[in-house]
Amino acid sequence: MTEAKKSEVLQGTLDLMILKTLHALGPQHGFGIARRIEQVSRDVLQLNEGTVYTSLLRLLQQGWIVAEWGLSENNRKAKFYSITPRGEKQLAVETENWERISGVVGRVLRLEGEG
Amino acid sequence: MAGRGMSRMRAWAARARGFFGRQGRDGQFEDELQEHLNLLKERFVAQGMSSPDATAAARRQFGNTTLLCEDRRELRTLVSLEDLGRDFHYAVRALRKSRGFAMVAMVTLALGIGASTAIFSVIDNIMLSPFPYKNPGEMVFLRVVDTQSDSHGRQGYTAPEYLELAEQNHVFSATTAAAEDLVLYKHGEGTDQLYGAHVTPGTFEFFGMPAMLGRVLQPADYEPGAPPVFVMRYKTWVTRFDGDPSILGKTMVLNETPRTLVGIMPPRFGWYEADVLIPEKPMRGAKSSFAGIMVNWFFLGRLKPGVTKEQAEADATVILQGLARVNPQAYPQHFTVKAKKLGDTVVGQFEATLLTALAAVALLLLIGCGNVANLMLARATARAKEFALRSVLGAGRARLVRLQLVESLVLALGGAAIGVLIAWGGLKGLVAALPQNVIPAESVIELNAPVLAFTLGVAVLTALIFGLAPALQAARRDLNDPLRDSGKGVSGGFQTGRLRDAVVVVEVAMSLVLLIGAGLFMRSFVALRATPLGLRADHVYQVQLLLPRSRYEKAAQMRSFFEPLLARLKAVPGVVEASESSSIPPYGGVESRVEIAGKTHAEDWHALIQHVSEGYFRVLRIELKLGRGFTETEVNDARKVAVVNETFVQKYFPHQENPMGQRVRLSMLQSMGDPVAEPWFEIVGVVGDVTNLGLQAPTEPEVWFPYTVTGSGAQVLMVRTKHDPALIANELRRAVWSTDSGVALDHPSTLEDRINARVFAGPRFSFLVMTIFGCVGLVLVTIGVYSVLAYATARKTHEIGIRMALGAERRDVLEMVVRGGLGLVFAGIGVGLAVSLVLGRVITAQLNGVPAHDPATLAGTVLVVIATGAMACWIPARRAARLDPNVALRYE
Repeated sequence: MTEAKKSEVLQGTLDLMILKTLHALGPQHGFGIARRIEQVSRDVLQLNEGTVYTSLLRLLQQGWIVAEWGLSENNRKAKFYSITPRGEKQLAVETENWERISGVVGRVLRLEGEG
Repeated sequence: MAGRGMSRMRAWAARARGFFGRQGRDGQFEDELQEHLNLLKERFVAQGMSSPDATAAARRQFGNTTLLCEDRRELRTLVSLEDLGRDFHYAVRALRKSRGFAMVAMVTLALGIGASTAIFSVIDNIMLSPFPYKNPGEMVFLRVVDTQSDSHGRQGYTAPEYLELAEQNHVFSATTAAAEDLVLYKHGEGTDQLYGAHVTPGTFEFFGMPAMLGRVLQPADYEPGAPPVFVMRYKTWVTRFDGDPSILGKTMVLNETPRTLVGIMPPRFGWYEADVLIPEKPMRGAKSSFAGIMVNWFFLGRLKPGVTKEQAEADATVILQGLARVNPQAYPQHFTVKAKKLGDTVVGQFEATLLTALAAVALLLLIGCGNVANLMLARATARAKEFALRSVLGAGRARLVRLQLVESLVLALGGAAIGVLIAWGGLKGLVAALPQNVIPAESVIELNAPVLAFTLGVAVLTALIFGLAPALQAARRDLNDPLRDSGKGVSGGFQTGRLRDAVVVVEVAMSLVLLIGAGLFMRSFVALRATPLGLRADHVYQVQLLLPRSRYEKAAQMRSFFEPLLARLKAVPGVVEASESSSIPPYGGVESRVEIAGKTHAEDWHALIQHVSEGYFRVLRIELKLGRGFTETEVNDARKVAVVNETFVQKYFPHQENPMGQRVRLSMLQSMGDPVAEPWFEIVGVVGDVTNLGLQAPTEPEVWFPYTVTGSGAQVLMVRTKHDPALIANELRRAVWSTDSGVALDHPSTLEDRINARVFAGPRFSFLVMTIFGCVGLVLVTIGVYSVLAYATARKTHEIGIRMALGAERRDVLEMVVRGGLGLVFAGIGVGLAVSLVLGRVITAQLNGVPAHDPATLAGTVLVVIATGAMACWIPARRAARLDPNVALRYE
């Protein structure tokens, strides 16, 4: 067990990450989204890739993303997800939220450390 | 905005597709997941793994696919049957675990559902579908209405009119008619009266009902010279002949004609409420009459398919206007024919009573719903942890809502099952309390399929009403709070508390509305009972006599019967006085135009006229105001003398003139079957007012005159006794039959019983029903207030402990709890009063002598509700105040 222990994905943050991914890269299929998160998180996060689909469904229901069938790079049928204007707005709100909370949490943790 | 709308629509479309075409869509979703797995595997293979290792690694990295598909189904479908079945199973299991709660909830609902089922059975059976006949909706009767007056119009037709309508119409597929005929049935001991109907050929085919025993009337029975036969109604057969089948084929003497009984009809056949049905063919030119009144045929037509009531009215108007050209005096100057459905003949104003009862029951049901909703809310709060856990474990919001709703449905269905039992029992009491004269003869009040369907509908609706709030509450819940909260210090969360309070306020308001209704009906009933009749009805026995018309037509013939009969009765020990009369209080005689000698007037003058013998005013203890009553000589000599009431004097002698010795003309007497040639009568006395149009209407001018003047009109016998008047019944019958055994006695009873049955039964019904519902409502509300407070204080145990530890007195705690509870009660009372004032207008028409905003009723009811509310608050408050702070602080 030399591998460093991976962190669990916090509840709710996956949605945010997917929204951000779609915002940054444009339309993507599920596999692509999983790869991107894996790549960006530099293997720190442990991701059950199936949960990406649950998250996608949730986002679809909220109307923050839409899905369309298309052809992938290697010419296979795949479903492409893209962010909607509403999703963009939500992303902005959530991002701000996240930054504020993580800032607060960070400050609290630093305090603990000094004490 | 457009994008948002579109995406939402897309989401709904996805749900709808998920609902209808689960297989295909799921397949696609699984394809998508499979494709992902394949790509992962390819990547691992490219990294140098073996194929099986790569598959395993891909699976590991992807997670559980089956679970995902489940999740997706949950998200995408509205509801599926198999899930519902599972939910039912789960709900039953959960309720079994808290039996106390389930029982209280179900019994509460059962009271509401049972009461509404009972009332609805009455409504269904006497208003919605009282008739057992073939397509009763097609049956209409016709009414000739004077277009220039607002009168009811006539609905009886002469034989030629009936024949014309039956033969010339283009709108009816069949017609029938019935004519009332009072039948004297002579048997060994004496004579009984039966209510008979002459019915036209084809009557039984018209109704489409076969006989239960024997046969119905056939065309051959109507042929001239055919042996005389008749058919009997079931009820008559059972009550008068003990349901003895051997009377079939026997011959009975009806109106002095021997007739053979050929058939007995099934229980629900009640056409024209006739005891016996006698074949009679209406003939042109035939002239028959009874007691001076022309025989009238009541017409019934069956509309051809596709023909509307309006078309039937137009067609009948043309036919009758043709007859009016030949015989104009028989019709109003301008008239039209109105067609009415068969059901319109009955029920009438009782409909309003029943609908009020239904509204009351609905309130009761809502109160019950409120209670159960509160119980569920409390339970939901207690189960918050369970729900939070389910949520965390992956139950979707929709799933939780559904679970709660299914639980509600299980409760409601359980309540409905018990409710049907309550209704079944309650219906017996209800039927006994129903005023008899408003119910169609055909209707049998019972729980039947439509009623049970109604109950089921009510149960489902109820479940939605009381289940939705707790269900949504459960779904809205924040996941983390309940897991952390152990119930300490927090009063069940701010929002739930609010909702429960609101439910209590609404409950109190509704019960107040119910109780005010009950109070008003009670006051109205009491006022009705207290209405002065102007006479003493106690110790009086009355019976209507039916004299064979062949022998009793003229005044002298009547006198030859009554003179010895009255003498005989007065000699019976215990009889104080006996009298003849033409009507029975609180109704006076028939209406007549009147003239007074020497007075001219522009408008018509009217009075009720009633013939009596000299003992009448003494039998009923009617107060003499001026002059004297009739003497025996005046009556026996048929002198034209009259006694009038005070209203008559006030109306027609308004200037303090002395009415004594004045002469009054009773025009009606001129046109009776036994006419009086010069109907001028001298006033010899004035008596106090006696109610003569029922208790609710103001007294009309009335004139009494000796019965020996005319042989027309009804004959009633009134006897005042020293002791219980009911004891005179046998003596009376013997006296009548020993005077003439061919005379029948109709509805003999004490006068009080008769007035009770005819006048008080309807208002008593309203009052009883409302009072019962009002009380049940009050009990439910008490339970509601109590349970909410008890629950709230239990949740606050910890808080109360702290307060007491900090120095709060028991009195403070008591006050805190009671104040909280009474606050809700007062809010409810405020709302209830406002609603009552608005709704009061609806029942004004059913009230007698009491305004809908009667202050005494309002004040009394409010006091009752406050008292009950205070009681409901007191118990939990006491319990809270008795808490030991040490125990309370440790309370978990």
